[in-house]
Amino acid sequence: MDHTIHLPDPFNLIITGVGGQGNVLASKVVGNMLMEKGLNITIGETFGASQRGGSVMSHLRISPRSGFSPQIPKGKAHLVIALEPTEALRVLKDYGNPKVNVLCNIRPIHSIGVISGDQDYPLLESLQKWIRELCEQAWFINATDAAITLGNPILGNVIMVGALAATRMLPLDRGRFESVITRTMPAAKVEINLAAFDRGRKMIDN
Amino acid sequence: MHIYGAKQLQEDVFGQDLCIGCGACIDLCPYFKSHNGKTTLVFPCDLSEGRCYAYCPKAEVDLDELSRQAWDGPYTGRSLGNFREIIATRAGKKMSNGNFQAGGTVSSLVASALKHHRIDAAILTDRDGLKPVPRRVTDWREVVRCAGSKLMVSPTLAAMNHGLRDGFSCLGVVGTPCQMTAVAKMRGNPMSKENFADPIALTIGLFCNWSLDARQLASFLSEKTDVSGIRGMDIPPPPANVMVIETGNGQLEIPLSEIKPLIPPTCFICLDMTSEWADVSVGMFEGRPGWNTLIIRSEKGAELVQQARDAGFLETGGMPVDTHMHLSNAALEKKQRSLRTLIRRELINNNNDKRSALRVAPGIVQKILGSKTERP
Amino acid sequence: MTDLLAHQEGARCLLMGNEAMARGALEAGVNVAAGYPGTPSSEIIENLANAAQNGRLYVEWSTNEKVALEVAAAASFAGLRSLCVMKQNGVNVASDFLLHLAGSGTRGGMVLVACDDPGALSSVNEGESRHFARLVEIPLLEPGGFQEALDMMKWAFALSEKIRNIVMVRSVTRLSHASGNVVLGPLPGVDAQAVFRYNGNILDPMEGPVISMPVTAKHGLQQKKLRQAVALFDASPFNTYTGPDAPEILCITASAGYLYSKEAIDLLGLEDRVGLLKLGTTWPLPSRLLAKYLALTHQILIVEEVTSFLEDNVKILAAGMGPEIGVKTIFGKTDGTIPSVGELNPDIVIHALLKITGVDYQGVPADYTQRAETIADTGAPARDLTFCPGCPHRASFWSIHMALQMDNRQGFVCGDIGCYSLAIFPTGFSTLKTVHSMGSGTGIASGFGKLGPFGMNQPVLAVCGDSTFFHAVLPALVNAVHQRSEITLVVLDNSGTAMTGFQPHPGLSVDASGNAVPGLDIARICEAIGAGVRVCDPFDLETTRQTLFDLLESRGGVNVLILKKRCALSPERKARKDFKMSVDQAVCLGSNCGCNRLCTRIFRCPGLIWNKEKKMTEIDEVICVGCGVCASICPSGAVVKKEKA
Ligand SMILES: Cc1cc2nc3c(=O)[nH]c(=O)nc-3n(C[C@H](O)[C@H](O)[C@H](O)COP(=O)(O)OP(=O)(O)OC[C@H]3O[C@@H](n4cnc5c(N)ncnc54)[C@H](O)[C@@H]3O)c2cc1C
Ligand code: SF4
Ligand code: SF4
Ligand code: SF4
Ligand code: SF4
Repeated sequence: MDHTIHLPDPFNLIITGVGGQGNVLASKVVGNMLMEKGLNITIGETFGASQRGGSVMSHLRISPRSGFSPQIPKGKAHLVIALEPTEALRVLKDYGNPKVNVLCNIRPIHSIGVISGDQDYPLLESLQKWIRELCEQAWFINATDAAITLGNPILGNVIMVGALAATRMLPLDRGRFESVITRTMPAAKVEINLAAFDRGRKMIDN
Repeated sequence: MHIYGAKQLQEDVFGQDLCIGCGACIDLCPYFKSHNGKTTLVFPCDLSEGRCYAYCPKAEVDLDELSRQAWDGPYTGRSLGNFREIIATRAGKKMSNGNFQAGGTVSSLVASALKHHRIDAAILTDRDGLKPVPRRVTDWREVVRCAGSKLMVSPTLAAMNHGLRDGFSCLGVVGTPCQMTAVAKMRGNPMSKENFADPIALTIGLFCNWSLDARQLASFLSEKTDVSGIRGMDIPPPPANVMVIETGNGQLEIPLSEIKPLIPPTCFICLDMTSEWADVSVGMFEGRPGWNTLIIRSEKGAELVQQARDAGFLETGGMPVDTHMHLSNAALEKKQRSLRTLIRRELINNNNDKRSALRVAPGIVQKILGSKTERP
Repeated sequence: MTDLLAHQEGARCLLMGNEAMARGALEAGVNVAAGYPGTPSSEIIENLANAAQNGRLYVEWSTNEKVALEVAAAASFAGLRSLCVMKQNGVNVASDFLLHLAGSGTRGGMVLVACDDPGALSSVNEGESRHFARLVEIPLLEPGGFQEALDMMKWAFALSEKIRNIVMVRSVTRLSHASGNVVLGPLPGVDAQAVFRYNGNILDPMEGPVISMPVTAKHGLQQKKLRQAVALFDASPFNTYTGPDAPEILCITASAGYLYSKEAIDLLGLEDRVGLLKLGTTWPLPSRLLAKYLALTHQILIVEEVTSFLEDNVKILAAGMGPEIGVKTIFGKTDGTIPSVGELNPDIVIHALLKITGVDYQGVPADYTQRAETIADTGAPARDLTFCPGCPHRASFWSIHMALQMDNRQGFVCGDIGCYSLAIFPTGFSTLKTVHSMGSGTGIASGFGKLGPFGMNQPVLAVCGDSTFFHAVLPALVNAVHQRSEITLVVLDNSGTAMTGFQPHPGLSVDASGNAVPGLDIARICEAIGAGVRVCDPFDLETTRQTLFDLLESRGGVNVLILKKRCALSPERKARKDFKMSVDQAVCLGSNCGCNRLCTRIFRCPGLIWNKEKKMTEIDEVICVGCGVCASICPSGAVVKKEKA
């Protein structure tokens, strides 16, 4: 079924979230899955602030060619995966365009300014409306809540990878996921990650 | 009474060097803390109205309002405030001997009130070396431990706030006139809390002309003696002109001229010498060591004194007219002096949104400033 | 971390720039590697330390960068190949030794990797290490991609052995921390023998004593070798040209700038008009190569990060070659075509090219951008950096702030570099008032503490981390004690170099590769130096504050308070929540007078939620790590902590 997917060259994917959500892992997993597919991958990321409540972003450049910049040029994202909804807006501001697609986890993580009351966190309905307005196609799922039912909120990132596979925006299949996860993770964690991947896949209906 | 928040308290009181460190704002919330005699706002608070401002005796004190609340009438400016009787008193036989400042009247009244369950706890001021330490006392036999004046600013009212938080609803408080002002403001329920029941059952005010800055005194004395060994201090009546410090190894006399620079500037805007808002007020008896001057102001105060005398806690005596007049003159002089400072510093009766430390009817200001001290 | 030894020759892997460099060093047969953690460099040593568990390779996290360079130099002097790794400002620390090392020369191949951080993504400076190569006269290489990061390391070792001097490889965050596809080369067998020879002639680079004297003779030798390097650079495969034979514009670039430039030219469709000269050897410049390409056109654009290093050096060369290549117009930092602060990206290069060529480009329709900006401004509240939930630093700075405020003598805290630098922000109650280099807080405090005779009577505090303590605080502390400076040093001991990912340091009893080593006791060291020492658990707020009062009021010299608690992200603490937290809604005072949201408004732990509708505080179960500290600050006892079974 993969051959039905036509990728622009390069395909620019941004995975965004808040420090501690497992952004880096998600981009590594997706990158490795695609590399095993024979594609060339460049991942640019900043994780200096990653564990301290800051916004985190990974830029994935996916192409049969190589040598792309680790930063996507402004306005050139094809797909944004947001592990947190306000982060989607932040990314769209710089990298969005009318044709961009968005896959978004709707569980908010309040910034410290919101916790302190200096800032307001928008209503979820507004967030969804804005994201829809700024993209061509959007999927919203509550990956964090699903992850909690699996026993650990951190699995939200892998659920998002599963959901991404189900959107069929990129050639990602379960077998590839399994092989990457088996190679890169301790054996004890493979099963729960597979469960998370499957849960994510089921959350996208198409 | 106008009420503002911590930000304004910071500006009005700290910003103008008016904080006396009474403790009224301490530990009402997490923001005001006292350490070594200094009160600090440790984190900003952005509420526009708060109890810190509402209780502070140096911010928007409206004497008419306090007077109406305490005596059902406007503030008259009388030198000694509203009172029923002035008598001489000292500790009765029932009281064990303590390191009393003078006659031990305060300790005796507090002990009697506790013994007879007029109050369930007393808010007193103990000492740790030189340092005054607020103390909550529930056993009448322990009252004497807090005897003796610490002639310094003490955050005593913090202990009152702790008492309220710990559920005490029948407290007795001993304090200086500024502290009595804060207590009076608090008892007026300025924040209009629903179901407010006045938790203060008794107020015993001290006379006070001025006090000393605790930190400055400590650093001043630490150059002369070991401050941890200090047991008491006194300012004997004129013409002595010294402050006497009792230490483990004898007395230390320090000329008042060296001490006076340690008076915090806020004492020079203070109108009240005799704790006019208290149930009773106690001071020295000039010329008769071992005795106190006691001003009985409220009905509650009168009952307290009566009971203490009947139970052998208090001994009473007459008050010569001369002594009364002397006291009255001293109190008037303090009022006049402080009013002039308030006016000069633009801290009184300001209009147009400019906040004030004090509000008094302008006619009363004129009356006080125009009064003459009496000659016997 | 990737297991760099797991893959065979020819395998295609997705490697981080730092991993590629580490693999390159392994393929070069590196024997000894040393470094000091610092973002974005740390993963190189980490990966090598991991590899060291399975092979004949010694890897250490040294006390500081200067010591790391010395440790690595020893291996080179003994004929081994050695690597030293640090972030940009680490090179400053190492530079004293670096100058002398460049003068004495090396034996076994020795490479210094410096990872710069343009834009200060995780630094408090965007200092440049490139200038050191020129300053101490050693070759400088800059990889412009992931494969190159690997290949260049091998080349650097060989070069070092050719010229018998240290070679510097400079990376940047966007390469070190980015990942790309890399094809691995073979791993050599390791059979190196370490011998230090010193009986030969003083001028004999391989047999004599290793010193920089006689200075002018050695210096001359060093420069001669450097000229040999230039000849090699002229033919280096790392210097490439792509573009037309007669370009209108020649873009000269290196490092990540190459990737940005390539992307920009591609997006603008300027392949026929702009030539791209990518340099891998950036000091000394390959002059013949440059002469050839500079001659192609008179418009030159130089793309580099951060300062005008390449630009200045190209200008000097071009001036010297004027008669041969003609007069050039050079666009870059000096004329403002490229900003001279911050990091680059493809769009900056796009705009530079637009300015020179005048072509038209719009990445996105303007109305989209405008709308997206409006929405993001209202819809995406900024995320300020904060201490993690459960971070000991939040508790420590709470107590320090409180003690200083209550002490009320305008006391202040001098800080330095670590997670705790965040205490300049509200997350640390804006407690830090100076932040500079490693250890500088203590040195500055030592100076402040001597200003009493000039009327300064504010209490002076310094803070440092446990790793920083060994790195650069020790000399400052010795100074403070010796000079009778009146200061209090608070050591925020979270048992690891948390900011950069828990690398061990001399205070811990485990080394980079997990072997048991003697851990040094900070308290005993401070006592031995002559400071008064106290140790507290920062989560015990009351005791910590009281101890701080004691220290602030104690007269006489230097006091040290060690606040000891593991970092919230440490594997030990991450594994378990100590408490299950909840808020008793009946007790919470919320925004009423009496609390006014102390927990969410001031304490600001990310694990708390302010429920605007209910006007109550709640615990965010997903984020709260159950440290229990918010229960200690709540004035009403509304926060309840239940011991976890
Ligand atoms: C700062 C200060 C200034 C004073 N100035 C004068 C004056 O100018 N003229 C005059 O006649 N009297 C003055 N007094 C009052 C006087 O010193 C005696 O307190 C009073 O005469 C009662 O004596 P006593 O023997 O009954 O007290 P004791 O029975 O010894 O009891 C003293 C009581 O005073 C309380 N106390 C002690 N120190 C403080 C303090 N710093 N703040 C609040 N409460 C405290 C204690 O709780 C204790 O209960 C002053 C008192 C203070 C504290
Ligand atoms: S307004 Fe209330 S909560 Fe704020 S500082 Fe004053 S007393 Fe505290
Ligand atoms: S209430 Fe008392 S301690 Fe508080 S600011 Fe006013 S005078 Fe100072
Ligand atoms: S003079 Fe007034 S302000 Fe000063 S301590 Fe006495 S009562 Fe308080
Ligand atoms: S500190 Fe306590 S009382 Fe105040 S808002 Fe937080 S939970 Fe409620």
